[in-house]
Amino acid sequence: MYHAPTELNDALRTLSEEGGQVVAGGTDVYPSAKQGKMPTHFLDLTRISGLGGISHHQDSIRIGATATWTDVIKSDLPAAFDALKQAAREVGSVQIQNSGTIAGNLCNASPAADGVPPLLALDASVELTSMTRGSRRCPLSEFITGVRQTTLLPDELLTAILVPPPPVEMGSAFEKLGSRRYLVISISMTAAMVSCDDTGKIEQARIAIGACSPVALRMPLLEASLIGQTPKDVTIDPDLFASLTPIDDVRGSTEFRLDVVVEQCARAVKRAANL
Amino acid sequence: MTTVSMTVNGKAVSADVEDRTLLVDYIREHLRLTGTHVGCDTSQCGACVVHVDGKAMKACTMLAVTADGADVTTIEGVANGDLHPMQKAFNDNHGLQCGFCTPGMIMSGIDMVNRYKADGKTLDETAIRHELEGNICRCTGYHNIVKSIQQAAGEM
Ligand SMILES: Cc1cc2nc3c(=O)[nH]c(=O)nc-3n(C[C@H](O)[C@H](O)[C@H](O)COP(=O)(O)OP(=O)(O)OC[C@H]3O[C@@H](n4cnc5c(N)ncnc54)[C@H](O)[C@@H]3O)c2cc1C
Ligand code: FES
Ligand code: FES
Repeated sequence: MYHAPTELNDALRTLSEEGGQVVAGGTDVYPSAKQGKMPTHFLDLTRISGLGGISHHQDSIRIGATATWTDVIKSDLPAAFDALKQAAREVGSVQIQNSGTIAGNLCNASPAADGVPPLLALDASVELTSMTRGSRRCPLSEFITGVRQTTLLPDELLTAILVPPPPVEMGSAFEKLGSRRYLVISISMTAAMVSCDDTGKIEQARIAIGACSPVALRMPLLEASLIGQTPKDVTIDPDLFASLTPIDDVRGSTEFRLDVVVEQCARAVKRAANL
Repeated sequence: MTTVSMTVNGKAVSADVEDRTLLVDYIREHLRLTGTHVGCDTSQCGACVVHVDGKAMKACTMLAVTADGADVTTIEGVANGDLHPMQKAFNDNHGLQCGFCTPGMIMSGIDMVNRYKADGKTLDETAIRHELEGNICRCTGYHNIVKSIQQAAGEM
C-alpha cells in the first residue's frame, strides 16, 4: 500500500490505524530497503500541505518536516544558521539534497547525521504530533537517545523542527571530516556558534560534536572555556572532551578522532567568528 | 498495485505498478527507456539521474508512485533532433569511455548549467567538480567530463 495524503490529519489517522513505513525524501529508507527487502506499506509525507518550507515566527524559526536540504540552502536565514547551511551543502550530493529532509535526518538518528550538531548548537526542539494526543515538543538533545533510537512513538510524526531565534550577533560554522570530501560517512564533525565583544573576545559560544559518541553532544565545559578567548589564538583543551567516546574502526582510531576534533573546534570557532 | 500517471519526455504515460516499484525500474522495465542506468544499490553512483519537475533526482531513490503527476525527463528526452549541447560536448571532449555513467553525467550536467544560469552564477571548474559529487565514473578520471560540461555551459 502506498499512501500519500495531502492532509496531516489523514496521515496521522493512517499511521495510527495501519502503521506503515513513514517516508519523506526516502534517501535513508530506499537505499537501506533494496536487495528485496522493500517494505510493502508506505506513508509518504511529501504531499501533505503545510508541512514543508521554512517560516519565521515570533518565538521560533520553523523548519517543516518535508523541508529539504536544498530548501535550507536557498532560505534566507540568520548567520547562526550558516553551520546548518554548510552541512546541507555537503550532505550526499545535489540529488540527495533535493529529496532528503532535515526531519528525516533527525528521525533516522545516525550518529553521523550531519544535521544534528548544527541544530544542537541552535538549541532546536522537535514538534511531535499524533492523532490522539496532539502535539508535544521535545528538545533535540532529548529526542535522539541512541544509535538509530529516538523518543518518537509509533503513532507520531515529527511535524517541525523549531529553533528559538538565535542572537543576531552570533556567527556559526561547520567542519566535517571524512576519508573523502563527499559520499562518505563522517569521521567527526563540529558545529560552532560564537559571538565576540567589542574587544574581539569571545562572549558567547556553543559547540556540538557529532560522530564521536552514539548521539551528537553539546560541549558545555569547552563552551565555558572559550569565553574571554580571542578566536584567532583560540586554545582548545583536549581534556574537556571527556564525554566523547569515539569508536575505533577502519575509518579512524579513537586517538585520531580525538585529535581531529580538537583541530576541528579551533577551525570552526575561527570561521564562526568570521576569521 | 497503484495506477501512476506522469509525463515522460513530453508524453503522457500511465500504468498499474506495484507500489514498491522504484522509478528507475518503471522507466527501464515498463517504459523500456533503458538509457537511464542502475550502477549501484546504495544511491551513490548517479547513473540513474533523471529530472523530476525540473530537479535532478536519483531515479533509484524514489518510487514510481512518488512521481505520480510529475514531469520527468530522461536521457532519451534531451536531444531535439540534433544532439543536446551537453551530449555534443561529451562527444567533442571524449567525456566518456565505457559510457555507463554518461546518461547520469549528462542529466546532472544539464541540471547544474541550468541552475547556475538561473541564479546568474558562473559554473567554473571547481563548481563543476563540487556539483558532480553525486556521479561516479570508473573510467575517465573525470577530467574530460569536467571539460565537456564547461564547454556545454558556454553553449547552453
Ligand atoms: C548517497 C547518499 C549520501 C548521503 N550522505 C549523507 C551525509 O553526507 N550526511 C548525512 O547526514 N546523511 C547522508 N545521507 C543520509 C540521508 O540522505 C539523510 O539522512 C537525509 O536527510 C534523510 O532524509 P529523508 O527525507 O530522505 O529521510 P527518509 O529516508 O524519508 O526517512 C528516514 C527515516 O526517518 C523517518 N522519518 C522521516 N521523516 C519523518 C517524519 N516527519 N516523522 C517521523 N519519521 C520520519 C523515516 O520513517 C525513516 O525511518 C546520505 C544518503 C545517501 C543515499
Ligand atoms: S543507481 Fe546508483 S545512484 Fe541510482
Ligand atoms: S565512462 Fe565508464 S563509468 Fe564513466
